[in-house]
Amino acid sequence: MSYHLPVIIFLIPFLTAVCMPVVGGKNREWCRPMAVAAVFAMCVAAVINLWAVLDHGETRYAFGGWSISTSLPGSPIGIEWVNDPLASVMLVALSFLASVCLIYAGPVLPQSLGRRVVLYYTLILILISGLTGIVFAGDFFNIFVFLEVAALSAYALVGVPGGRALVAAFRYLLLGTLGASFYLLGVVFFYAATGTLNIADLAQQLTDRPELMTSKTIIAGSAFMFIGLGIKMALFPLHGWLPGAYTRAPDAISPILAALMTKVALYAWVRIIFWVLGARAEIGQVHLLTLLGILGAFAAVIGSLLALIQQDVKRMFAYAGISHIGLILIGVSQGNQTGFAGGMFYLINDAVMQAGAFFITGAAIYQYGARTVEEWANMRGRSPWMTGALIILAMSMIGIPPTGGFFGKWHIILGAIEEHNYLAAGAVVVATLLTMAYFQRLFVSIFRDSQASPSGARVEMHLSLRVSVGVTSVAIIILGLCSEPIIKLFRNTAASVGL
Amino acid sequence: MLEHIEVALQRPNFIAFVVLFTWGFFIMVAHPNLVKKLIGMYLVQTSVIFLLVTISAKKEATVPILQGIDAVQSATHQIDPADYTNPLPHVLTLTAIVVQVATLGVSLALVTAIYRKYGSLDEDEILKRIE
Repeated sequence: MSYHLPVIIFLIPFLTAVCMPVVGGKNREWCRPMAVAAVFAMCVAAVINLWAVLDHGETRYAFGGWSISTSLPGSPIGIEWVNDPLASVMLVALSFLASVCLIYAGPVLPQSLGRRVVLYYTLILILISGLTGIVFAGDFFNIFVFLEVAALSAYALVGVPGGRALVAAFRYLLLGTLGASFYLLGVVFFYAATGTLNIADLAQQLTDRPELMTSKTIIAGSAFMFIGLGIKMALFPLHGWLPGAYTRAPDAISPILAALMTKVALYAWVRIIFWVLGARAEIGQVHLLTLLGILGAFAAVIGSLLALIQQDVKRMFAYAGISHIGLILIGVSQGNQTGFAGGMFYLINDAVMQAGAFFITGAAIYQYGARTVEEWANMRGRSPWMTGALIILAMSMIGIPPTGGFFGKWHIILGAIEEHNYLAAGAVVVATLLTMAYFQRLFVSIFRDSQASPSGARVEMHLSLRVSVGVTSVAIIILGLCSEPIIKLFRNTAASVGL
Repeated sequence: MLEHIEVALQRPNFIAFVVLFTWGFFIMVAHPNLVKKLIGMYLVQTSVIFLLVTISAKKEATVPILQGIDAVQSATHQIDPADYTNPLPHVLTLTAIVVQVATLGVSLALVTAIYRKYGSLDEDEILKRIE
């Protein structure tokens, strides 16, 4: 039973998505309970899966019984899913956030959707199953297909409100497809050089034949893959699509996109670096991880600098997400266990924080129509709970204990210092200071003591908004308090790939 | 320099790929018309698929279906892989084409919706109307 869990986890949202138009076409009010029940079931299955993996170790699911490990050496036949500790932890985070996002989505859905709400829930479930597929995939081509499955539903979902969102969605589609094409090109190069697509088999071939690592084909292939996934994860110079898409996307969609899309692309890239190329890989004469660290430092600093000058709060948090991608890359690229564990821990934290940030901005728009920093003054004294959640979020984004963000950043800095990489540690500190600066602007707007204090009755937040904002705030604190076992797990993962 | 050109000329499929890819990329970036941008995107995707198909080609090989004496003796005799082309890239290509078609469908739907809303397909015109 536990052997089949990965596929069951994938099939729960996928089959619900397939049944959704059939059931939901007749009874529209069934859609939401069905979708929420599906992701909750997925959550439970993911937790059982994590427990099983921690207990029995990693398993490889062979589709149709065509196992790679039993087929002839050198000619692997079959498709594998890898169910190791890293994947199962990612999956728990993914399904947890997906269920919170779906709970949140109910009241803030645009009223104009009408009957199309069925399609909305179908698409969001397909998005979730696509992301699940990327997390499990043990195969380069599988990653490509699932990236596109997730991205296609994301393009459609971003365009839901019409108007300016359509233009943002179109830009996202053009750049996203370009990224996917680059990624596929990289896959073609790898296939041409080695004749295999399986991650484990590729890694074996690259260690058996070290001359491959310096061949132009593999170097070009990894460069193309990196450009493709860089567009997908919105790494700093390639981030053009992200701010527009996240700002214009409906408030019900931005949290799930911000929390999961870029993070899962980054996860796929981490898999490729450490599981295929190895930590000592070089592109030309340049050490790959050093290059990533420099790009990450730029993304971290410039992303938060751009966040500082935004007026629109949603756009501000979108740029904050770009800077966090940089922070994670800094951590992962230090090439030691501390940095890797810190980076991966920050990745999970960042997913929760981004979801929380977009929950709060969405709730502010829903309740007070507040989009810009100045308009947030409307919240003054009217929603103490939302302000409290914002304070917890700010603590985590800045990195104040006992929130999860602190432990992530702490280990990233420790990892950088361990490698005597003071520039990277400095970039993390600068990004932190800039984060403080942009939260300062928000809090000044909310707490400023002015005569023209908006008088208005306290507005009760909708129950599902309160639940989702509350759950993410609690999750941020719990991640901080329970950071030790998670970081230890990531350290073991890092040790298993030879860091 | 000359030897590099000579090597490149032995791989006409690579040259075709590079031409198609950069051409498509240029159209995507340079043209203000949204449908033309889509055509550029289609060219980029097609060029990658083209490369994938061409690397599976072999001289004097046939379709990957056991033929003649091989079909009878496949259980007992070793089959020479050089006689048959590699079927895997074609299968990957099929999947990639499905992805491409789905992307094109979504993008055309988006372009239609943009045209209905703003009455134009010119990017500059649309941006002007947004402001």
